[in-house]
Amino acid sequence: MKGYLEEIRNTEATGPAAVFLFLLLADVVLKGGRYTEFDAETLAANALPLVLVALGQYFVILVRGIDLSLGPVMSVSSTLAAVLFPLGTVPALLVAIGSGALAGTVNGLLVTRLTLSPIIVTLATMSIWDGVSLVVLPTPGGVIPPALQAALTSSSVVLPVPILLLIATTGVGAWIMSTRFGLHLRAFGGDDAAAKASGVAVRRIQFTAYVIAGLFAALGGIYSAVATSAGSPIIGDGYILSSIAAVVVGGVPLIGGRGSPIGVTMGALTLSIIGSLLYFANLSDFYQSLINGVILVVVVGAVAARDMIWKAVAG
Amino acid sequence: MLNVRGINKSFGATHAVRNVTFDAAQGSVLGLVGENGAGKSTVIKIIGGLVAPDSGHVLLDGNVLSLRTPREALAHGIDSVYQELAVVGNLTVAENLLLLAPPCRRWFSIDRRHLRFAAQELLDKYELMVSPHARVGDLPLGQRQMLEIARAVNRSPRVLVLDEATSALGQGEVRWLVRLVDRLRTEDKIVLFISHRWDEIATFCDRVAVMRNGALIEVAERGALSQERAVQLMTGHGIAGGFSPKVAPKEEPLLEARDLRSEALRDVSFSLRRGEILGLGGLVGQGQSELLRTLFAAHELKKGQITLSGRTLRLRHPEDAIRAQVAYVPQERKSEGLFLDKSVAFNMTYAILKRLRTHLGVIDSSNEQAIVNEGITQLKIRTPSPSGRVGTLSGGNQQKVLLQKWLLTRPAVLLLDDVTRGVDITTKTQIYEIMRSIAESGTGIIFYSTDTDELVGLATRVLVMVEGRIRKSLSNHEISAEAIVDAAIGTGTGTG
Repeated sequence: MKGYLEEIRNTEATGPAAVFLFLLLADVVLKGGRYTEFDAETLAANALPLVLVALGQYFVILVRGIDLSLGPVMSVSSTLAAVLFPLGTVPALLVAIGSGALAGTVNGLLVTRLTLSPIIVTLATMSIWDGVSLVVLPTPGGVIPPALQAALTSSSVVLPVPILLLIATTGVGAWIMSTRFGLHLRAFGGDDAAAKASGVAVRRIQFTAYVIAGLFAALGGIYSAVATSAGSPIIGDGYILSSIAAVVVGGVPLIGGRGSPIGVTMGALTLSIIGSLLYFANLSDFYQSLINGVILVVVVGAVAARDMIWKAVAG
Repeated sequence: MLNVRGINKSFGATHAVRNVTFDAAQGSVLGLVGENGAGKSTVIKIIGGLVAPDSGHVLLDGNVLSLRTPREALAHGIDSVYQELAVVGNLTVAENLLLLAPPCRRWFSIDRRHLRFAAQELLDKYELMVSPHARVGDLPLGQRQMLEIARAVNRSPRVLVLDEATSALGQGEVRWLVRLVDRLRTEDKIVLFISHRWDEIATFCDRVAVMRNGALIEVAERGALSQERAVQLMTGHGIAGGFSPKVAPKEEPLLEARDLRSEALRDVSFSLRRGEILGLGGLVGQGQSELLRTLFAAHELKKGQITLSGRTLRLRHPEDAIRAQVAYVPQERKSEGLFLDKSVAFNMTYAILKRLRTHLGVIDSSNEQAIVNEGITQLKIRTPSPSGRVGTLSGGNQQKVLLQKWLLTRPAVLLLDDVTRGVDITTKTQIYEIMRSIAESGTGIIFYSTDTDELVGLATRVLVMVEGRIRKSLSNHEISAEAIVDAAIGTGTGTG
């Protein structure tokens, strides 16, 4: 029994889940106790791009990195998809997703082969991808196939599709972490020297984390283009720092090696629901940034307090 | 049969391994001994794939091995347990034990139940009393080391390398390892065993290879090599010399330390007389630096009393120590002692600025210049000018600037923390002369050195430290390289 408790402790998602559920409850109360499927769908649809890019960011932070280029990667995939859809839905999707893989590959190679600092590398590629998206599509626009939009925003399957997508992407993240590769990611984040001496293929692990991050970010860009009916070269700018904030609120320390995809999704949902709360509390949008910051400090402080308590209890 | 052939490795200007060649036979344990920095660990890391040699080969059964990463070494059946632990603290015991090959279900997901099961089986097999769920970072050092050893043995390697693998083990745990190594011997494995401690070499090994200054100087059957002979080979005779006669300490006591206790110190008591040069010896990291830093209030003291010239010192901050005329020259001069971007003059007078102030509080620059020029001449510091940046000077000259900075404070007690490491021989000799002359003027000096010859050549008393205690105090004619190394690594002929 004690073993299972330790396993639950190791998933580290309970805290972020509690924070989200508390805010969700507040949201329900503010809405006068009525919470419809439509409310849940709206939340999921609004949160999905952040969930996707934050999951990507999570893999990089897990290996003690940070990826500032993920926002602009979203912009690139969003604009590429919108520009290429007239040539065919599937090719456009493949190219857009491929751009994310390429961006991750570039970051990964620079970090692992040239052993450059992740923050410098991605600061540079952030600027590059920003430029690329502006070349592809200078102003928001492009064409989104109505069939694709209908399929991705439909609310008439078992559950609304945005909710299904949210569950599915979190599931994919959780699946990755359940494999040997996921174990090695955590080993790298915990102690890369020990992981290397133990025989873990550390460079490959670190490299792959950046590629996965690029893929998730590209999916986030595509989804936001489809949901808003337009590709945009600036859509990703707002996600550069909020993706990092969502990971931290999701219970993942920036020193890596800990935290879970479920926690990260909870973190992204937490940041997303604040907008809705402000609206129903009759507060201006201008407070969003302020509240986000307060929540970040509270969560990080709570994590530090929890670790201190664990330490005191353990001995 | 493992053959190491003509291995060389340099790190910058240090030739860490020189043309090392040896063989290790199946079903035998080869011990590798030598002083700190003799090159044992580098040889082991080359065999384990952590360090690439500049030249030379490693052969297993006649095949030249490619050993560019630990993974490649593992693939050849070479498994290493290093002094620095290679278990990951944030993972559980089970995850660490089966890190490379966890049991998986469909879709490559790790089967957690099976993982715990397999780990428990392994723990039982190697008689380890830990929960497979426990986070490795929460375990004591000894258990972590045992886990790592068990993991390596369980992979059934052809060659097992144990680099100071006993450093964190208690007595019962060492007996556990003896049984394990005996089993490997009967299973025809090759074991390389590195240790500082002769009693362990004698317990574990069939043959012993002795290294000194990067070179392998003797390989002998264990029975054919006595501890005395091994120590002689490790320290190398006749290198010392070139030291002038020692300075005789004065009679008056200067500093008295009683029952000092801290994270790194265990009940250390000693005294220092005026004009005495007291040496600290022993293996690296036995509390010598911490002892010096304690006297300078840079390392927290839990218990104990320090008196200087009869007055009890209350040291809470290095400033208190400086006020009591205690000076400390650190090991890491780049990070702790000097402003590399600033001039020689700035660095030299930094600690005595108060003395240089005029009535108006302005620095008297002509006075400063005179003091700096005198220091440069006296200590033969090679710098283009007093305003030259310290960062551009050679290591030895930087060390002399730092030394002069503290000498200008006219210290009653001078603490030197391995200050001659990485310094060329001429500068070393000059530093020895400076130590001698300030000792003659009555300053008491406590110096820690990793160079045993220095202790023998300069100190009138040497305290050998082991695990934060003073194991042996040697004075005058008792001081020799053999006696120091013997006390540091020996089975312990008399503790104290």
